[in-house]
Amino acid sequence: MISGVKLGLGLVGAVGATLLGIAMLSQFQAPSLEIVQRGYRGTAMQVNYNEKQLASYLAENKVPASLPQAPAAGPKAGAVYKNVQVLGDLSVGQFTRLMVSITSWVSPKQGCAYCHNTANMAEDSLYTKIVSRRMFQMTQHINADWQPHVQGTGVTCYTCHRGNPVPNNIWFNDPGPRSPSGGMISAGASTGQNLAAASTRYASLPYDPFTPFLEGDHSIRVQGDEALPGSNRHSIKEAEWTFSLMNYFGNSLGVNCTYCHNSRAFSDWSQSTPAKVTAWHGIQMTRDLNGDYLKQLANAWPVNRLGPTGDSPKLACATCHQGVYKPLYGVSMLKDFPELARPGAAGLAYLNASWTPASPMDQEKVGEQGKPSN
Amino acid sequence: MAMLTYEEKYRVRGGTLVGGDLFDFWLGPFYVGFFGVTTIFFSALGTALILYGAALGGDWNVWRINIAPPDLSYGLGFAPLKEGGLWQVITICAIGAFVSWALRQVEITRKLGMGYHVPFAFGVAIFAYVSLVVIRPVLMGAWGHGFPYGILSHLDWVSNTGYQYLHFHYNPAHMLAVTFFFTTTLSLSLHGALVLSAANPPKGQAVKTAEHENTFFRDTIGWSIGTLGIHRLGLFLALSAGFWSAVCIIISGPFWTRGWPEWWGWWLNLPIWK
Amino acid sequence: MAEYQNLFTRVQVRGPVYAGVPVTGTSWTRSGKPFYIHLFGVLGDAQVGPLYLGITGVASLICGFIAFEIIGLNMWASVDWSPVQFARQLFWLALEPPPPSYGLRLPPLAQGGWWLMAGFFLTASILLWWTRVYLRARALGMGTHVAWAFAAAIWLYLVLGFIRPVLMGSWSEAVPFGIFPHLDWTAAFSLRYGNLFYNPFHMLSIVFLYGSTLLFAMHGATVLAISRFGGERELEQIIDRGTAFERGTLFWRWTMGWAATAESIHRWAWWFAVLCPLTGGIGILLTGTVVDNWYLWGEKHGIAAHYPAVWGTVTDPSLSQGAAK
Repeated sequence: MISGVKLGLGLVGAVGATLLGIAMLSQFQAPSLEIVQRGYRGTAMQVNYNEKQLASYLAENKVPASLPQAPAAGPKAGAVYKNVQVLGDLSVGQFTRLMVSITSWVSPKQGCAYCHNTANMAEDSLYTKIVSRRMFQMTQHINADWQPHVQGTGVTCYTCHRGNPVPNNIWFNDPGPRSPSGGMISAGASTGQNLAAASTRYASLPYDPFTPFLEGDHSIRVQGDEALPGSNRHSIKEAEWTFSLMNYFGNSLGVNCTYCHNSRAFSDWSQSTPAKVTAWHGIQMTRDLNGDYLKQLANAWPVNRLGPTGDSPKLACATCHQGVYKPLYGVSMLKDFPELARPGAAGLAYLNASWTPASPMDQEKVGEQGKPSN
Repeated sequence: MAMLTYEEKYRVRGGTLVGGDLFDFWLGPFYVGFFGVTTIFFSALGTALILYGAALGGDWNVWRINIAPPDLSYGLGFAPLKEGGLWQVITICAIGAFVSWALRQVEITRKLGMGYHVPFAFGVAIFAYVSLVVIRPVLMGAWGHGFPYGILSHLDWVSNTGYQYLHFHYNPAHMLAVTFFFTTTLSLSLHGALVLSAANPPKGQAVKTAEHENTFFRDTIGWSIGTLGIHRLGLFLALSAGFWSAVCIIISGPFWTRGWPEWWGWWLNLPIWK
Repeated sequence: MAEYQNLFTRVQVRGPVYAGVPVTGTSWTRSGKPFYIHLFGVLGDAQVGPLYLGITGVASLICGFIAFEIIGLNMWASVDWSPVQFARQLFWLALEPPPPSYGLRLPPLAQGGWWLMAGFFLTASILLWWTRVYLRARALGMGTHVAWAFAAAIWLYLVLGFIRPVLMGSWSEAVPFGIFPHLDWTAAFSLRYGNLFYNPFHMLSIVFLYGSTLLFAMHGATVLAISRFGGERELEQIIDRGTAFERGTLFWRWTMGWAATAESIHRWAWWFAVLCPLTGGIGILLTGTVVDNWYLWGEKHGIAAHYPAVWGTVTDPSLSQGAAK
């Protein structure tokens, strides 16, 4: 009897251990590598790719074919159509080409009706139209004013959207896990870390490195520039937050720490690669875009587009990069859409001055109350 | 020649693997043997090349001397001497010297009628070294993946290699290796201390026995592994530390290219949690 | 050619169990009826027990149990008492020390107060266990070498969790209780203080860690290799050297020109193992208190290798564009 139980338990244990072993080993990849050296020989500064994985990334990050250019001559869209606030100086042909393109980039399944009341295209009755107008301005702003980050490649709607009405890889403030009943766990006691969170790709580091660093402007730099103790008051916990953010950077770009840094002296610019400068501008850009564009739209979004604390969706590295060191492997779509590189003349005016946003809870009324008066 | 009082009767002919009686002699306390000659050859050449490399670097500060492997672009071919070729030849010399040393230990083992435990254990250390400079570079397709020969430069290599995988502490084999290193050190301290405490009792008391050793551990933790077992355990722990170190670096790159935390997805996504 | 290498015990002898060296003058007696476990006998001695509990032993176990419960229950609470998530995320969960804002003050329980309490009971448990180890050695008429080796490990533990946080003026500098979180802490510690690899005491500690492993491999292998001559009877060989240690000694003398003796190898072992946490503790203690950035410290003292620049000049863009972030 006893030995029967023993045998049974042993059998269950053996089968369980085998299954666990298989699950564990199946995580590994066969060695077939593509490696990019990033520093002096022997320093181990390099980025490693598995070829199989790289092939799938290359396939996923292809730019779609651009529609043929439309003539710039002819009547302007602003003159022909009503309520064209941002792209009014395009010719009707160029305007139509851009509208057809954005439909394929952002709402290929939903079509024009995703943003427009098809009975009256000029009407601002859908929140999506309010948002997309602001996103046009954001795109122009990025391409015109954030050259140090996007350089000649630039961005288009497709860089983030990839055929999705809501881009993948957006983020919200994360106050911590919720209990099944929806309440906060040990409210006020949350350390913001020590859970297997997807945002950190399963490190137990702080699970929301976005809010302090990419919405706020908390200092990312934790190392001092003096050998001996002096003015550097940063804590080890702050270093964990920075480390979490840097893990996110690496995962978002499909690179690792040595893509930018010589890890023997993380903070030393003179030992870093030029990519670190580009990344620094990216951080500034992300803060700017989250603050001046996405958070500005807080009242435009319906409740189901908001985060757990009622905050706007926000962007970070992965929103554009999507696991690749240069979005879409550095192929520029912008050259086919120069109108997206023009400085946004309309700026914030229509949001700040005369547009009275609706209550964020009142999604149905956004269109009526939130209509900009021109 | 200096010999211990009891040494002469152990200095017998034979037990050699290669060379018969030709190199079967001692130099001072050292046994020579065929592999003693090859050890000297490889280590002298390797050391001379390291000095040459240091001279090329023009910096004789011992902490800063750095003999780096070739650029990755050389792949698995030979690089010019001054661009990593030196590292390649020194690596050959190092492996030659280590293997010679192990085989010389085999010859000495045979002479003394001992078990082969020591050369086997040294073999595990050689395996760990070869993993770093041969097995992993070959799997990754370039000698440039070996670690540079220099005191601080090899630490920089370790640091950067770790950060290639974002957070190396999440490497499961690294966890095992570190655990074995710590456990080995713990057991070594316990074993060393136990023997010393039995051999060095308080003033005026008689030297204690293995039964006291056993009683001490049974009293404190309920089990004593015993005088023979502790040496088996120690050897097992030490070799496991070396073995898992080798595994942890071989899997980093050839079999896993992303951040190590992400590897744990297999556990988090097991169907049993659903 | 094939010969027995003494890797495990093939024939186990079963005599009467041994109650242990008689000890007089203590109020506690050894508890538990000794028994045999075959598997243990394959590796070493098969006999398990008897155990001497004693006052310090009982007190230590109680304190250790309290610490274990505080840590475990806090971890469980952090996943809202979900048993599934507790098992799934066990390695990720932690009991975190107080946030920096509390300095060395007593925080509320949920803000690190539990951490302080767990640390107190764990420390009490460890110190009581040390006392027990010391007293057992004395009761058996042995030296106290085990207790002092243990003290070296306690030194490192106290530096990490108590001495250094006190010197830094903040409990938040201490290590969290948790499997992965303590690894995060270790990485963050090195990141914050500019690369621990450039800390000379960290270097020494690792040398002694690897050195101890090397020594145990050499010593363990040597003793097993001469076990056919009774090499494992080390105490006897210390007092009256026999052919086993003559061979063992000659093996190393012929290999590397020099050898330790049956007793002195254990002194080497003790010092290597003890110096690992001893130097490690010094290295941790100096970090943040005396040195803020170990890489810069190393550069200042001329130990950082020079690498040719491959990227041209890269400079901090914040210097030309406003405040550093």
